[in-house]
Amino acid sequence: MASHEEITASLLAFQEGYNKNERLKIMNRDWDRVVLVQANDIPSQHTLELRNGELSVREGAPPRADLTVIADSETLADLFYGDITPTEPYMNGTLKIIGSEDDIVRLDFISLMIWGE
Amino acid sequence: MGLKRVLTLRTVVATSAGLTLASSSFVAAVQVAGFLAGDTAWLAILTGGLLCLGAASCFSELNSRLPSAAGIRLYFSRAFNDRLALTVSLLYMAVVMGVVGAESYVLASVLNSALPAVPPLIWIVAMFLVVTGMNIRGIKIAGTFQDLITYGLMGSLLVLAFIALGRVGFQLTAPLAPGGILTFINAVAVGVFLFVGFEWVTPLAEEVTHSRLVSRGMLLAVGLLSVVYALFTVAMTASTPREALVASPAPQMVFARTVLGSAGVFWMVVLSLAASITTFNAGLISVSRFIYASAREYVLPPVFSRLSMRFFTPWVAILTVFAAGVTISLVVLATHRYLVLVNLAAAMESVVYALAGLAVIRLRQKEPQAKCPYRVKGGVFIPALTSLVFAGLAVAVMFTDFYVSLYLLAGFAILWWYVHQVVPALKSKYQPRRPARRRRPVAEPADAGCEKT
Repeated sequence: MASHEEITASLLAFQEGYNKNERLKIMNRDWDRVVLVQANDIPSQHTLELRNGELSVREGAPPRADLTVIADSETLADLFYGDITPTEPYMNGTLKIIGSEDDIVRLDFISLMIWGE
Repeated sequence: MGLKRVLTLRTVVATSAGLTLASSSFVAAVQVAGFLAGDTAWLAILTGGLLCLGAASCFSELNSRLPSAAGIRLYFSRAFNDRLALTVSLLYMAVVMGVVGAESYVLASVLNSALPAVPPLIWIVAMFLVVTGMNIRGIKIAGTFQDLITYGLMGSLLVLAFIALGRVGFQLTAPLAPGGILTFINAVAVGVFLFVGFEWVTPLAEEVTHSRLVSRGMLLAVGLLSVVYALFTVAMTASTPREALVASPAPQMVFARTVLGSAGVFWMVVLSLAASITTFNAGLISVSRFIYASAREYVLPPVFSRLSMRFFTPWVAILTVFAAGVTISLVVLATHRYLVLVNLAAAMESVVYALAGLAVIRLRQKEPQAKCPYRVKGGVFIPALTSLVFAGLAVAVMFTDFYVSLYLLAGFAILWWYVHQVVPALKSKYQPRRPARRRRPVAEPADAGCEKT
């Protein structure tokens, strides 16, 4: 089980990887989304916000989310550190992503662009 | 903190019923009537609907246990094993592509019947190009529009049915004597096709205002569809010569022309277009995203996971479905054997529903302590009955149509081999092996795996 702080650190690593990728920022400049990242085994919620291609991370839940990512704390930390891809935990039910199919594909793509396969 | 729960029962019913209502449903409805004597199609359709209610309650329990968009892939994987789940999911997606092919053929026949100057081939290619273009650009059909289409469609079908029944003075020929039991079973089996896809609403489980709404919505959708289909089919067979309906790939046009002349034809063209666009779109979205996710998992070659850098849609997967859909439609256009696809879908759907019943029983045994907000009442009776009945219906369709059993068994055998031989090779070839990037200490599992000496 990962701690809330470890999830925060993984999200900051994700943000760092994202912000280094200028191409990704240009590609996402018209994709403004609020993503809730929620652990289901510990009390931990974070908000990822994409505005004009810039990604910000903050602790706590947003008033309204376009996408919700739910998993156990260990999976979330692994996912945002890029140790695992979202597909396998998504297919085996460990990871739940609530949102439109296109938004889910875009999130998968961002992770792929930051961490590779 | 609550999740974004905004969807109401109205939208759940519209989504469940909207995915099910298609132009090819009318072909299946006439086929159901063709099996039976007199105007007894309603009996088989209501029985099919009742059986689908059993399946819907099994899907509700599975979805409340495992609320995920991965659907049957996840349910069957947890209940049985991943290879069986993958084989069945791949086969199911292949059959959905077949349904899209049959749907395009039926819609092309509808449009060709209204505008005979344009050949069906042009309609088929044009329709596929429009829907494929929409999907590659990521254009959405708005939820409100979907609601309007579904409820408008159901309302229109009821109105047309009553107009037609009024024309024959509500006089039905032997409405209570379907003939032999075997023909009745076959009619029910094909009647299941009318409800194909009602369970695709399960991924909405965590976006509804109340967790029970998905199960209620599915049950309501199946109930509403049963009534609409039953009335419409009886009206068709009561007002229009059965031979003309059975001989046509677009029986709803024959019916509309008989009842309301050219106004009926125009009305039915609009209805068929509305019914088909939601089915096309749902089929293309679900199959292409399944292909994309499978390729990301190295179940299919990685080329299928390519995304458009402009629209962020899986364009290779979408074009693959386009190519498969057009090919299937062309084969159907050349052979006119569209009924095989309808029967194939009915048989496959029966297999999936039978497995859903078994999955409920198995998961209750395997994970008795797991969280399960919705449980089918009455112990194992409904899941077991669902499983037995749908297994029987699948066998009935396969016995009735030799090609269905041939295609289904061949498809299952090829995919079983693919999952056992090709998938491990793909995973071994493409799955990356890299050191973890994890920058934190790995948590030691408490006592797990420790031997005490």
